[in-house]
Amino acid sequence: MSILDNLYQNVQVAFAVEQGWAAWLALLAASVGTYLCRALGVKLSGQVNQDSEFFRWLSAVTYAMVAALTIRLIFLPVGLLSTVPLYLRVLVCILAIGVMISNPNRRLVPALLTGTLLMVTIGVFK
Amino acid sequence: MSTPHLYSDPSAETTEMVKPRFYDRKDAFWSGIRDGRGAPAMVLFAGMVGFGAMGRTNGFDIWFTTATSFLMFALPGQIVMLEMILLGASSLTIALATSLTATRFVTMTATLFPLLHERDRNKKLYAKVHLLAMTAWAVSLKEFQTIEPRHRLSYFTGLGVLCWLISVPGTFIGFLIAGSVPMPITLGLIFINPLFFLLTFAEIRVNGYRLAILLGSIAGPIFYLIDRDTSLLTAGLIGGTLAYWIDRKWLRRYDQAGSA
Repeated sequence: MSILDNLYQNVQVAFAVEQGWAAWLALLAASVGTYLCRALGVKLSGQVNQDSEFFRWLSAVTYAMVAALTIRLIFLPVGLLSTVPLYLRVLVCILAIGVMISNPNRRLVPALLTGTLLMVTIGVFK
Repeated sequence: MSTPHLYSDPSAETTEMVKPRFYDRKDAFWSGIRDGRGAPAMVLFAGMVGFGAMGRTNGFDIWFTTATSFLMFALPGQIVMLEMILLGASSLTIALATSLTATRFVTMTATLFPLLHERDRNKKLYAKVHLLAMTAWAVSLKEFQTIEPRHRLSYFTGLGVLCWLISVPGTFIGFLIAGSVPMPITLGLIFINPLFFLLTFAEIRVNGYRLAILLGSIAGPIFYLIDRDTSLLTAGLIGGTLAYWIDRKWLRRYDQAGSA
């Protein structure tokens, strides 16, 4: 019953509240800013040859950036994930990678499910 | 009808191309959609459900929250934007802060699109680039190794369109179910995003890029503790450049000696 109540309340709020124009203006600005980064990438990609040293450097920088983001989300999370002890987060990652590399082809979904279900289980026993 | 699939042999060079994997562009497009239905859709959907719930919890309306996913399609930037609106920041400040979190798109695009066929590298990419997010980038980069260049853009478009469109119902549903999802499920939904990216790293075969990932992982938390907002950029530039330099100076000689 409480779940239905909650849903009902969310529906009420969803269509009752009206966002002020300031928020929409902020969204417009943020969308333009985000798109410009993508467009800049297209512009830059036109100058880049995939066999060049510049391409290799740029790829290394991109991988490092993506790795930094991923590690931050796992090791220094904010919110609910930060309530799970670090050693459990690392353990789940190791087990998921284990499933992944047990077969080099197409093990992504099983590995992803393993990790996610383990995390759900941790949540149940917390 | 089954699609012929050629999986890359781990020991093979990345540039090696054998038989065409797709019959035509349409086949490549639909294959992109099919591949997107698995892990990429799961990951994006989970992330967007979380974002929708965040919008509800912080008092935004459903149209605004969903429009954010549709128009920005960059989860870290979307979260920063919501936080800053709540803090009462000006639109200009918000634009700058979200652009800073989106700088990864500059290098992601500049490393993915040079792999496309010469004929596809034209003005139309300025429209299609909106479909690029970390998920589609990681999957495309891996799959492009076994896709002939003329079919790569169609594959990317199929994958990207699915990822983009799934984010809209994801946000909408997340808004509606906010507060009624049990804590363990929420925990799983949050964790699926970083786990996906961690797992895609296991598929990278180039030693120089593996080193870049390792150094980025070390530099990331260090720079995060120094300055939160610029940490991705600095960690990427410093970790990546160091990896590139080590690769050029030492690793490639081993690679050449190994393959010769």
